[in-house]
Amino acid sequence: MSYGTSNEWFPYYEQAFSAGTFSYRTGNELPDYEQAFSDNGVLGMQASEQKAIQVTDLTVAYQDKPVLWDIDLDVPPGVLLAIVGPNGAGKTTLVKAILGLVRPAAGNVLIYDKPYEAQRRIVGYVPQRGSVDWDFPTSVLDVVTMGCYGALGWIRRPGRRERELAMQALEKVGMEAYTTRQISQLSGGQQQRVFLARALVQDATVYLMDEPFQGVDATTERAIVTLLQELRADGKTVVVVHHDLQTVTDYFDWVMLLNIRRIASGPVDEAFTSDNLRETYGGRLGFMKTDKSDV
Amino acid sequence: METSQIEIQLIAIVTAVACALPGVFLVLRRMTLMSDAISHAILPGIVIAFFLTESLSSPLLILAAAGTGVLTVVFVELLQRTKLVKADAAIGLTFPALFSIGVILISRFAGNVHLDMDAVLLGELAYAPLNKLQAFGYDDLGPVSLYVMGMILVLNLVFILVFYKELKLVTFDASLAAALGFAPTVIHYGLMTLVSVTTVGAFDAVGSILVVALIAGPPVTAYLMTDRLSRMLMLSALIGSVNAVSGYWVAFLFDVSIAGSIATMTLLIFGFVFLVVPNRGLIAIARRHARQKWEFAQTMLVIHLFNHEGLPEAEAESAIDGLHEHLSWDPGFTNQVVRYALNNRCVSRKETQLILTAHGRTIAQKTLVQ
Repeated sequence: MSYGTSNEWFPYYEQAFSAGTFSYRTGNELPDYEQAFSDNGVLGMQASEQKAIQVTDLTVAYQDKPVLWDIDLDVPPGVLLAIVGPNGAGKTTLVKAILGLVRPAAGNVLIYDKPYEAQRRIVGYVPQRGSVDWDFPTSVLDVVTMGCYGALGWIRRPGRRERELAMQALEKVGMEAYTTRQISQLSGGQQQRVFLARALVQDATVYLMDEPFQGVDATTERAIVTLLQELRADGKTVVVVHHDLQTVTDYFDWVMLLNIRRIASGPVDEAFTSDNLRETYGGRLGFMKTDKSDV
Repeated sequence: METSQIEIQLIAIVTAVACALPGVFLVLRRMTLMSDAISHAILPGIVIAFFLTESLSSPLLILAAAGTGVLTVVFVELLQRTKLVKADAAIGLTFPALFSIGVILISRFAGNVHLDMDAVLLGELAYAPLNKLQAFGYDDLGPVSLYVMGMILVLNLVFILVFYKELKLVTFDASLAAALGFAPTVIHYGLMTLVSVTTVGAFDAVGSILVVALIAGPPVTAYLMTDRLSRMLMLSALIGSVNAVSGYWVAFLFDVSIAGSIATMTLLIFGFVFLVVPNRGLIAIARRHARQKWEFAQTMLVIHLFNHEGLPEAEAESAIDGLHEHLSWDPGFTNQVVRYALNNRCVSRKETQLILTAHGRTIAQKTLVQ
């Protein structure tokens, strides 16, 4: 994305409809869930279905200012889900609440039917790239090895096995040539790939990623999308905080529209409708800036 | 060298290394100011424990001071959490408050006891060897402060060696650390306890103000020299020792305060490294800028020649004498750029004309394509 380099402001509706963004998919990758979703929207009727992530009645407040109101979200296993919503909609907070990093004022989160604390090993997390100090004295390989720390537990040090796993992950993201680089010498896209590699090392079942496309060039974005889709093909569940509405239909099969409360969630075909978008973005949608205009 | 001289240097080295090791993590966590706060705020802890024990070398003193140090961190963070006070202001409010309590306690109750404000603030390394450890029937087992600081050094070493992985992760990416189940708060307070204990141990040697120089100086110096955490720790320890020994001898030669000299050497050595270190040093940066300036001027020159090459006006545009007018450069500067480009074989001289070499043409083409 390249905020600040383009001055074009696209009225979103026009763009979306003229480009045929809302064409229905013909593939049937996930017939069960689509079936389940279209049969009913009622909670409880899908109880027999195991959920990768189940958020119920989640309210998060900072001081007494609510950031998330009563969120319900069911994420079935094996989907690639985008969380979209305007700035300040609580996307990052939702991810952090799922990971137990912020304490909810109300509600509950389950990962495969258990609380997060019991499922740490199967959850991989990619924080926002800007959340760490890239001048930290450490190498690319070292950062990726940190993905193994959870499995190692307290005190035990990473060894040759962990370094090998880290190397494999770096190969997957095409960064094997940079292992000994100091991390501040990387470009934004390379830093993002290092973060992805670190999550891959965790070999998780559920991945939560906070804006993995932020500040990356078009080539890296494509590489990351391919990687996410491979993860889904392996049966992993991937939840991505996403900013770019233009690419939702291309990249993801599930979507959640969020603006303090949940507007909609489900398969992209059903949830990503103009009505839901208008409700999520309100008047602001008409002034939405597209990131693709200069690619 | 006399025994006492060796002892003073040993105490200085041990203190410097003990301070430098946790200092690395404070610097990386951008919390150096917190060590300043702790070093001042432990004063009431020391004073109160001194009233209770009437001894300056009691272990209770260290514990009480360490407790006050951790309390300082808690106060600062509570203030910060209200979001009404920013981090720096919270530190600025907390430690003078605690420090002043200590000062008042001393002036009110300790007027006739031996608790010297100067000793607390500035320390007196020169007297440290006088206080000998007496035990098991021996009356001289070496200076007490060497044992105290030695134990604190071992404590710091063990903590950092055992929790190296956790300290690294929490410092680099606290949210991942929390998500993976490594309690960042526990590590954070563990580190703060260490800093408090180290500070109170070191106040005997260098005083509570100069201890900040020992905590911050070596790590920031080492930070300039390496980009690996493990090496930064080792370099910090080494630099701390060099500062301590060189500071001692400066004090010896000029007959001045040892603590003051050590702190001065810390700054001088930092300044030296800051200037000369490859890649990141000021000199390296200045040279890189200078080189870039000439490189860029050379590129402008070859592109100028390239643009007019083979065209009717080429003769006028590439006449050596007329270059400065066409480029609106100072004639002296133009001459230097021409010489630079000739040296790099980007251009060659053909009578009064400057013509591109194959190499220069490639540079121009590559730059223009980019």
